[in-house]
Amino acid sequence: MKVDKESISLADLKEILGKETHRIGHFTSLDGGQLLALLLDPSQGDKGVKLYEIALENGINSYPSLTIKHPQLHWFERALFDMFGIIPSGHPRLKHLYLHEPYERNFFPLRRVPLPENFNSPIDRRFHFLEVKGEGIYELPVGPIHAGVIEPGHFRFSCLGETIINLEIQLGYLHRGVEKRLTEVPLKHMHFLAEAVASDTSTANALAHAEAIESLAEIEVSERSKYLRSIALEIERLAMHIVDVGGMSTDIGLLGIASAMGRLRGTALGMGDLLTGSRFLRGFIVPGGVRLPVNNGLFKLKGQVARLRHELKEPIAMFLDNQMALERMREVGVLKASLAKEFGMVGPAGRASGQDYDVRRAFSHAAYPNMAPPTVTAREGDILAREMVRIKEIWSTLDTIDRLLDNLPEGETTGADFSKVRLKPDSFAVGIVEAFRGELLHLVATDKEGKVARYAVKHPSFNNWTALAIAIRNNLIADFPLCNKSFSLSYSGNDL
Amino acid sequence: MSIETNTGEILKNSGTFLASLIILPPLTIGILRKTKARFQNRIGAPLLQPFFDLAKLLQKNETVSEHASWLFRIAPCINLTVMLLLSLLIPWTSLTAIPHGIISADLFLIIYLLGLARFFTVLAALDTGSAFGGFGASREVTLALLVEPAVMLCLACLGVRAGTSDLSQVFSYEATRLTGQYGLWFLAGCGLFLSSLVELSRMPADDPTTHLELTMVHEAMILENSAANLALAEIGHYIKVALLLGLSWQCFMHCLPSHLLSDWTARAIASTGGIISLALFIALIESLAVKLRWTKLPEFIAYAVAMAIFSYLIALSV
Repeated sequence: MKVDKESISLADLKEILGKETHRIGHFTSLDGGQLLALLLDPSQGDKGVKLYEIALENGINSYPSLTIKHPQLHWFERALFDMFGIIPSGHPRLKHLYLHEPYERNFFPLRRVPLPENFNSPIDRRFHFLEVKGEGIYELPVGPIHAGVIEPGHFRFSCLGETIINLEIQLGYLHRGVEKRLTEVPLKHMHFLAEAVASDTSTANALAHAEAIESLAEIEVSERSKYLRSIALEIERLAMHIVDVGGMSTDIGLLGIASAMGRLRGTALGMGDLLTGSRFLRGFIVPGGVRLPVNNGLFKLKGQVARLRHELKEPIAMFLDNQMALERMREVGVLKASLAKEFGMVGPAGRASGQDYDVRRAFSHAAYPNMAPPTVTAREGDILAREMVRIKEIWSTLDTIDRLLDNLPEGETTGADFSKVRLKPDSFAVGIVEAFRGELLHLVATDKEGKVARYAVKHPSFNNWTALAIAIRNNLIADFPLCNKSFSLSYSGNDL
Repeated sequence: MSIETNTGEILKNSGTFLASLIILPPLTIGILRKTKARFQNRIGAPLLQPFFDLAKLLQKNETVSEHASWLFRIAPCINLTVMLLLSLLIPWTSLTAIPHGIISADLFLIIYLLGLARFFTVLAALDTGSAFGGFGASREVTLALLVEPAVMLCLACLGVRAGTSDLSQVFSYEATRLTGQYGLWFLAGCGLFLSSLVELSRMPADDPTTHLELTMVHEAMILENSAANLALAEIGHYIKVALLLGLSWQCFMHCLPSHLLSDWTARAIASTGGIISLALFIALIESLAVKLRWTKLPEFIAYAVAMAIFSYLIALSV
């Protein structure tokens, strides 16, 4: 959707943040000369999306940090410093988020406004881990290369015996400069790059990109395209939720259920193949519409939904009937609702901690909020609650696909002709999508000539990584892998 | 009885013993893994895969941490040696390589030899200085501490009843004072079996198939081992599996009516079959159970201790 920028002062922003029940969608900058704050009020629907610009005075690249009052901003402010060299002074834990030692000390990749004269970065590139001191405390480094075939990330545990006192997470190993590259490629290629931002979330990324570009280019999308996009998004959610429940079964040792879930994920991906011609739903959603394959199997989808609903029943019942398994997950890695709100958690992990926030019901994208299923929430905030939310969402997703297929309108679906697309100059647009991990956000800004000047992506994992570090405190070391799996976070989506 | 037949008897005994010592431990593991795979609807690796794995490991080049001392390299050798020694002492099959009475398989000696093997494994794990080895060792020792009383008590009450601490006499199928004590044998067998699940790092104490270092117990200790060093550690572990399962199976075998087992061949077949069926039972448990939370493990071990205490009460009363 299109958003209008409102220029305010930092004091005004503080007041707005203090008074209202906003969540922070994004907190970044255009070129280093200002701050951009995208605030979301899910209760007000599309009207609740507001963008504020806070100009930084010429030659000054710092402002008083807001993190202490609004912990949601913790990583946003660190990312802001990494990318733009804007110093949130007084930030309690300022260190680099993405860029490690090999980068030059005063290199800020997205900054276009010149740095103040004689500027020298206040911190070096080395990652200083928080040290816990005391008798019997030891540090346990894990990663960045892990035993399974997963993405790289470094975890530093400070433990007392078997108990984790503190966990620090160092990411950035997968920093590829995606946001910068997105401003460089021509528009007709941009959606390929946008959907590859995090490859397990490709549909959601493609959708967020399309939503943003369409509102900048003022392209109308047919109802049929919107429904087909929703179906693709739900298929992605279905496949990934099945995989996540299977992954949890692997980690607690229920390998039989894990292999059944692995097989059923294949069925869900097969649905993606029927709809889009790609098991990973790549290249389907394009600005303006969707690209249907020549032999599309749309009419076969209903049968697959019924089959999956039938075949999922048994492994999921086995998972939920296993008292030892439930016992293993109950009251482990608990995150209270108040903390979840403070950290602005999103997605199934947030909903398991009582956050009643599902983008599908809040903001319009694809066929939502009309076709949005009821929000699934839980209050306990433990591993079991997160898995329960996932399992309930598997069922609600199957229902949603059924409903979308039943009500599928007729109409054209072809994508936009890129030779005619012109983006509105000096404008902002945002695509907010409920990916399977939660709120995914693409914020696009154009310059005077209608070129993309800034492309900011906020992946749901970005909100939830800090919450993981909090949830695992005072739990056992051996519980961390389970807790980590129950959050199911993306490294590449965070590192960009 | 002439000397020739006696020698023939010894040769038959020792030969079969040696063959089963070489074949049975890796085969048991192979069968266990295959059964687990079938429970998961997988075809699984061939039954002989543990042999192939060992052959592969023995051919590889070894990597040793620069922080490791000689202890790290020697520990698997000590471990394997102790296991081979134990295989001669522990009555894990009805066969004995050494005729009765030549050496005494004292139950305290056995417990302490098991402890010695563990001691060196733990030292080797600490030696490389890796954090994983450190907490793996700490967990192993904690579990050993909890489970040792159960093993000790189970064996001791059999010994008390038989009036000897020599296990080869207790399990000799001749001890009259223990004949017909089905309840005692059964409870001791159950106690030993539950303790072996913990001793052998099987579920629900440890997940032998996991890749998550942070949850490992036994595997975390041998993460740094490679090639021949790892092969030795694995062989030692395989033998331990056969020994402990065999020991608890021998208890169960004494519950069977004695006329069924009067024959040497019948006993040998039942011993071998018993170890394999216990392995199948473990595969069943591992397919249904999950790994317990670390703090819940003492509750599980309490079952083994309870079995041991009950068998002790029986041993005292009869």
